[in-house]
Amino acid sequence: MEKRNKTYVEDVNRGVYDIKNEVRYSYKSDKGLTPEIIKAISKEKNEPKWMTDFRLKSLEVYHKLDLPPWGPDLSELNMEDIVTYIRPDTKMNTSWDEVPEDIKKTFDSLGIPEAERAALAGVGAQYDSEVVYHSIREELTAQGVIYTDIETAIKEYEDIVKEYFMTCVPPKDHKFAALHGAVWSGGSFVYVPEGVNVDIPLQSYFRLNAPGAGQFEHTLIIVEKGASLHFIEGCSAPIHSVINIHAGCVELFVKEDASLRYSTIENWSRNMYNLNTKRAIVEKNGTIEWVSGSFGSKVSMLYPMSILRGERAKAEFTGITFAGKGQHLDTGTKVIHAAPHTSSNINTKSISKDGGIAIYRGAVKISKNANHSKSTVTCESLMLDSKSKSDTIPVIDIMNDKVDLGHEAKIGRISEEAIFYLMSRGISEEEAKAMIVRGFVEPITKELPLEYAVEMNNLINLELEGTIG
Amino acid sequence: MSKEVLITKNDTKSLKLNKLPVITWRWLKVNEFNLKDFKLENIPAYNKNSINSHPVDEIEVNIIDNSVEYLEIEKYFNSLDNVGVSQEFTKMADSMYNCGIQIIASKNKKVSEPVFLRYSTDNKNPMIVDQNLIIAEENSTITVIIDYTSDDSTPGFHNGMTKIYAKDGAIVNLIKLQTMNDTSLNLDANIAYIGHGAKVNNVSLELGSDKSVVSYINNLEKDTAESNLDSIYLVDNSRLIDMNYLMNHFGRRTISNINTYGALKDKSKKTFKGTLDFKRGSSLSKGSEEEYAILLDKDVKSDAIPLLLCEEEDVEGLHAASAGRIDENKLFYLMSRGFSEREAKKLIIESYFRPIIDKIPLSQLRKKVENHIENRLLKI
Repeated sequence: MEKRNKTYVEDVNRGVYDIKNEVRYSYKSDKGLTPEIIKAISKEKNEPKWMTDFRLKSLEVYHKLDLPPWGPDLSELNMEDIVTYIRPDTKMNTSWDEVPEDIKKTFDSLGIPEAERAALAGVGAQYDSEVVYHSIREELTAQGVIYTDIETAIKEYEDIVKEYFMTCVPPKDHKFAALHGAVWSGGSFVYVPEGVNVDIPLQSYFRLNAPGAGQFEHTLIIVEKGASLHFIEGCSAPIHSVINIHAGCVELFVKEDASLRYSTIENWSRNMYNLNTKRAIVEKNGTIEWVSGSFGSKVSMLYPMSILRGERAKAEFTGITFAGKGQHLDTGTKVIHAAPHTSSNINTKSISKDGGIAIYRGAVKISKNANHSKSTVTCESLMLDSKSKSDTIPVIDIMNDKVDLGHEAKIGRISEEAIFYLMSRGISEEEAKAMIVRGFVEPITKELPLEYAVEMNNLINLELEGTIG
Repeated sequence: MSKEVLITKNDTKSLKLNKLPVITWRWLKVNEFNLKDFKLENIPAYNKNSINSHPVDEIEVNIIDNSVEYLEIEKYFNSLDNVGVSQEFTKMADSMYNCGIQIIASKNKKVSEPVFLRYSTDNKNPMIVDQNLIIAEENSTITVIIDYTSDDSTPGFHNGMTKIYAKDGAIVNLIKLQTMNDTSLNLDANIAYIGHGAKVNNVSLELGSDKSVVSYINNLEKDTAESNLDSIYLVDNSRLIDMNYLMNHFGRRTISNINTYGALKDKSKKTFKGTLDFKRGSSLSKGSEEEYAILLDKDVKSDAIPLLLCEEEDVEGLHAASAGRIDENKLFYLMSRGFSEREAKKLIIESYFRPIIDKIPLSQLRKKVENHIENRLLKI
């Protein structure tokens, strides 16, 4: 066999993602986790008592729970070294011009306001622990759509927030859900009233600038009966030499006949522990669609979960994970079929290169009463070299006889035949390989809104540069 | 017989068997099989002849003893971590066995007639703790059938370990049939070394016992080693079955296949764990795995965890698992040809089982299995 030469680049230049700003803040909590720190954060945020109590209770739960014995090694993560709350030196703005210059520049270079003008119905931007900018088109506000930062929501729509907050993901769920419950800050609140279709997407962008800090934003979305929404979430942070942690929480409530598409492109820097929890509860005839791209972070444990609670509820999950040097990305999805005639469709791709570890971890559970449920799972992995690692760990748990379930997983390399074929058509070997990788991820890119698909292609090109061929 | 490896009342709380090679979420309760309320204070003798028939003069078949001749082979098996259903039961089968057979096929000897071993419990011999060793020298071919069954309704216990050492170019066919009565506990572990160009074919028919925990670990150690594992299971009433199959690809151009078909009825529960592990250096290897479960009642529980572990770029791995009702189209077709629904369902299950039953080389035994399945399916 022909000896293949590979050139490895040390680390990719992540361009705009690595722009660091000077850390300016108006309030910064002490490092670590104590009831005093939690009380101070809550006081600083001027929260109602129920929320302060909720935080303290979550902290107790956090100390009781152990780290998961499965998955990536988290021993390097020391919460005593993490600053859980940093308020940037600005207030929440509704006009882009009022956002401080350096923060504005960061988001400008990430293309956020541009995207807003071009293709979005509303935008939120979070910088460290607080949301610095939020806007929504007037016609949506007129229809009763609420899109705001969650701190404002607690004050203005306290009843709704109180009813839903951390009921989908209870703090006792796992250690990092408890951590989130204790120190959460920032995030978006979306409420789409009955029958309203939001045609163009809403987008929140989360940026963690400060080193050695944590970002714990909470996203709460309620899509009422017959309504629909497409929500996009973007995350990034510049590279620091110390560990940062992201333990956000996304709670989605999809009511009868409603539909929600939740898209994420995550490009955290490679000092980040991304331990995010995302979950949706879907009622009768409702649909949840997840589109999830994981590129960044040092360690990721991310498994968006769909609970199909109403009859004929549907879940779709499309995911891509790209693990490069020094990265351990443990991602996947969980679906609970808890009502008759529910269906789920899972399609994931993972690529690992240059010593990266890409794991698909999934679970499909079909409970006793979920007769006539259907589930299809397809996982594909591509290894670009033998320094890397790729595992597929799916669990299928069926508790009744009237189901239709299929699971398929494949692992492999770029086929020599395909390269040979492309080369015989006059395409260079490097280009042929890059084309095959792009083809491999194409089913995912086509699910993304255009500007995100472009971003993802750029990320893939950045990652592949000099590594194939 | 050292006392400390026996399982006494005090440590019955947490006997965790058949651990998943890579663990996952705890709430799913699939990381291990929990054996509850188990205790064992002594192992009574097993006083039966287990060699049913074998090709005399062709193959060396002996009652197992810790012979020094095969020290090197023993050393290989002893150096492995995490073999068998659990550490305590592996130790028990290793050092406290009450029966077992050692089979050696000499170099270049190709034997078509199978060695047939039969272990059966009864009120005088309620426990089978067997250790079997099958050694196939270079380029030999050997077929071994082991039948685990019950001769009466005494609750039986089986804990065994079967070791296969297939040297370069050897072919070992091992067919295991388990039809113990429905108050029995069956713990069956298998481990194989597969040399250069050697081949180990396992056939497993799991039809009996109240609880059955089965482990197969096949190590494709050398280049071009190959292994096939075909299994069927039939669980009904409140039976539990837990299968943990692991194919470790070490050599280059190694090939493995797992095919499992089963039917679940009443309140039975099954867990299938099948792992293809491509170790670094196993380039150009291929592995495939397929599992299909037929669910016949609303109270069954069926878990499947098909793992694919990979540290090597240049391999092809494929797994598929599916579960569901009997295919409506097939059912409709058969019924339109005059079969009752019951008959049609039985036919479909038989059609899945047939190719695997056909791998039993003794017609007498094959007939017995067919009758057994026929009787069990009568209740559908």
